[in-house]
Amino acid sequence: MSDPPAVRLAGVSKRYPPLTRRGRLHSLKGALLHGDLWRVKEEHNGFLALSKVDVEIAPGETFAVIGPNGSGKSTLLKLVAGILQPTSGSVEVEGRVTALIELGAGFHPEISGRDNAIVNGMMLGLSRSEVMSRLDEIIEFSGIGPFIDQPVKTYSSGMYVRLGFAVAVVVEPNVLVVDEILAVGDEAFAHRCLDRIAKLQRRGTAILLVSHDLGLVEQLAQRALYLKGGVPVLTGQAAAAVARYRSDVATDEAGGESAGGSSRRWGNGAVTLDQVELLDGNGRPIRLLMSGEAAGIRLSYTVRVPQDDFVFGIAVHREDGSYVFGTNTDLDGWTPERLAGSGQITLEFPRLELAPGRYLVDAAVHARGGLAYDYACEIMSFTVTAPVGWPGCYAARHGWNPRGPVMTPSSE
Amino acid sequence: MKSGVPKAGVLSSLYRNRGLVAVLVARDLKARYRGTFLGYLWSLLNPLLLLAVYTVVFTWVIPARVTSEVPFPLFLFAGLLPWGFVSGALLDAAVVLADNGPLLRKVVCPPEVFPAVTVFSHLVHHLLALPILLVAIAVAAGNGLVRFPWTVVLLPVVLFIWLVAVGGLALAVAALAVHFRDLKDLLHNLLNIFFFATPIIYPLEMIRVPILKRLIQANPATPLILLYRDVVLLGRLPSLAAWGWAAAVAAVFWLTGSWIFSRLRETIAETV
Repeated sequence: MSDPPAVRLAGVSKRYPPLTRRGRLHSLKGALLHGDLWRVKEEHNGFLALSKVDVEIAPGETFAVIGPNGSGKSTLLKLVAGILQPTSGSVEVEGRVTALIELGAGFHPEISGRDNAIVNGMMLGLSRSEVMSRLDEIIEFSGIGPFIDQPVKTYSSGMYVRLGFAVAVVVEPNVLVVDEILAVGDEAFAHRCLDRIAKLQRRGTAILLVSHDLGLVEQLAQRALYLKGGVPVLTGQAAAAVARYRSDVATDEAGGESAGGSSRRWGNGAVTLDQVELLDGNGRPIRLLMSGEAAGIRLSYTVRVPQDDFVFGIAVHREDGSYVFGTNTDLDGWTPERLAGSGQITLEFPRLELAPGRYLVDAAVHARGGLAYDYACEIMSFTVTAPVGWPGCYAARHGWNPRGPVMTPSSE
Repeated sequence: MKSGVPKAGVLSSLYRNRGLVAVLVARDLKARYRGTFLGYLWSLLNPLLLLAVYTVVFTWVIPARVTSEVPFPLFLFAGLLPWGFVSGALLDAAVVLADNGPLLRKVVCPPEVFPAVTVFSHLVHHLLALPILLVAIAVAAGNGLVRFPWTVVLLPVVLFIWLVAVGGLALAVAALAVHFRDLKDLLHNLLNIFFFATPIIYPLEMIRVPILKRLIQANPATPLILLYRDVVLLGRLPSLAAWGWAAAVAAVFWLTGSWIFSRLRETIAETV
């Protein structure tokens, strides 16, 4: 983490002043005589939308904010985008930030799509010449074709949104703030959006994403913040935050049986697992793995109470619950001696020959007798890709050898 | 570049966003006459028709002789044109932030851009109407009714002073109107009062009651309108004191307006 963070929020709180029938100021008299107008920032009542949030997002990282409606997600985005100012704490953003909060916001209905694209691009921080040089790309990506010179009021809502998105992504921001926009547009457009976002990720754009589509969050984001009622509940790996949120929702729906904490994670806390990561053959964290490549699963832990009886275990299963593989240090013949401080242990696979699809990882550290120090279900997920969509969960290296049938293999 | 809390002043922000302001002004003008047959000609036609009506009314219907120097329709027109610039810009400034609410709430967009766009597009309209006044003065001069005011070369300086003054007022109005919705209605009445409290339809010398004259002289809009009319119509070179007084008014308006705006700037997006 030598790079300076692209976004840094330190102790950020946001309080909305109470809105009375007349607006935020209680009276004209108070505003003029007591100077309420100049001191609107020092509100102490009102609605606390966000409370003491700390977030750091590295360049190229995708960070998601999840939580129920009204938990302050959009407020957080607007603070990062610079649309709102925090009541306390500091928001630092490195470089150009573009907000995709409402696509096509501020298009003027009477003006042509081309002119609106120019105005919109300049609002997002490009100079006129920069917009002009990217205009062809915008028009191409939006797929609006000859309608680009028609007034925007004649556009369908889909065209409107496509043009808005096309403008926003050619800006090539350092920080991209995305609010639920992938919910709009048709399937094909959603794919183009995702493809474009992946391109930005590779370019080193830090992306801050709000979505209720938890599958999308796990797919796109490395880390996530789970907000509830404006209070940060958990910041961590996307899968862990999503799992916590899902279990909270499940608990709420079940009538609050196991109040507090995730039912999918337990243990006495003598040792805690801080992070579970999938690594490629060079030890770099990844989320996407080619079937048959070398890989590792690394557990980072912190010890509160030193132990001489401990076992590290990992289990991999499919989303439908089918068990794929599991092992632990005890099974593999490692005798525990001493565990203290903090450290890491990696389970290495010279070739991870899994069938393409999504896999969930449980990780645990426990005593040999079974007493859990920390047992985390579905703490991490990863996706395996393959050139062919083999079914099953084991993609053994294989080849066909026809002696009789007349067949030709594909050139590849 | 840290864009966390931009502490830069309104002026430097506007300078940085000058390209955006220019494009938005152009968009305003384009949208205004979109779909009309005469297009930009309306900017010329509106004042021309107004001048024609005044000429008919005040030459034949009510033969007004309030000033001996120039024909009254011209006198009136030279006052109404700049007043139209002020009142139009301020009335639009009162609603411009509310109208652009979606942009302020959903896009990273500096709010000071919008009052600036309002002021500049009204300035452009004023500049489009100005040739009508100048041609009318030239025609009157050709008929020996007036001498052509060569002081008109100083008009750019006067317009700059006006721009600063109107800009400051528009910033204040725009920011305050976000918090007081009443301001819009209040402004209508204030502008009406000031219309009559400023020597627009009468010359200052016509007032006989000393205290009333003192009051109208103290009106900050008075030096601005006098300066404008001296230069563009009456052909008088304004005294240094007149220049200084008008410039001081403009400077105070600008400083106050931009101060109010920057104080309220952060609360605009969440209130609008």
